Amino acid sequence: MQRRRLSRLARMAFAVGWPLAEGLQDVPLVFVSRHGETPRTFEILSDLANEQPLSPTQFSLSVHNAVIGLWSIMRGETSEMTALAAAGDGFEQGVLEAACLLGEGAPAVLLIVTEEQPPAAYGPRIDDVPFAYALGLLLTPGDEWQLHLGDNAGAVPSSEPHALSWLRCLLKGDSTCTHTWKSRTWNWQRKP
Amino acid sequence: MSDPQNTLNHDIKLLIIDALGLEDISAQDIGDEQTLFGEGLGLDSVDALELGLAIQKKYGIKIDADAKDTRNHFTSVASLAAFVTAKQAA
Repeated sequence: MQRRRLSRLARMAFAVGWPLAEGLQDVPLVFVSRHGETPRTFEILSDLANEQPLSPTQFSLSVHNAVIGLWSIMRGETSEMTALAAAGDGFEQGVLEAACLLGEGAPAVLLIVTEEQPPAAYGPRIDDVPFAYALGLLLTPGDEWQLHLGDNAGAVPSSEPHALSWLRCLLKGDSTCTHTWKSRTWNWQRKP
Repeated sequence: MSDPQNTLNHDIKLLIIDALGLEDISAQDIGDEQTLFGEGLGLDSVDALELGLAIQKKYGIKIDADAKDTRNHFTSVASLAAFVTAKQAA
């Protein structure tokens, strides 16, 4: 009965996360979305602007951690969960958060990065969502990948979302991957 | 379906399905006397607020959320239909 409450963004997040969590218990979740549920926000604001009563369902799901709340309810999962809205490097911030949870002893951490195509009204202000997407990763302790944060020494910002760029590196078998956002340059290195 | 009572019941069922986004369920699956909340159809408190809003919008009536008998009006489709009929006549 809760599934009907899942927005498209939530469905994308569940679609990538559910198979990874299948059969596992007590898996902390790091949920990352820079813009969150912009279609829902836009509907609520439209109702407000038109002096219409707000939908209680929309309102109850309008907070950034609504998706992890539904995840917790539907999976009966009570592990630590966090919802992040970082800037353009939310993917790396999420990985860092997940790595901290692994460092605290979690055997595995689920990381979900997702963005929804924003309504047209937000178009001029949101330029980093080429299309709706979701990436799910089940992270476990190991040294296969290293992530190092450095200062931006004049690098050009990545043209595609970091999560997707990183996925491309992974699938191509690249040994390094670099993402720059404002003053920060994230260097990914895969163990040879 | 020609009888106005049945038509109203049917309309309310469609309203419930539409306003609450019920999936894989049609008006035929909801009984007139079936309990809507908790047991029965399994709706929850957020649904109660959402349904209250939808009823107020569609039928142009006012529902007092604090009134003692409001809870009873939301027991089933039949009780909601009776409530809407009484409010519209008033």
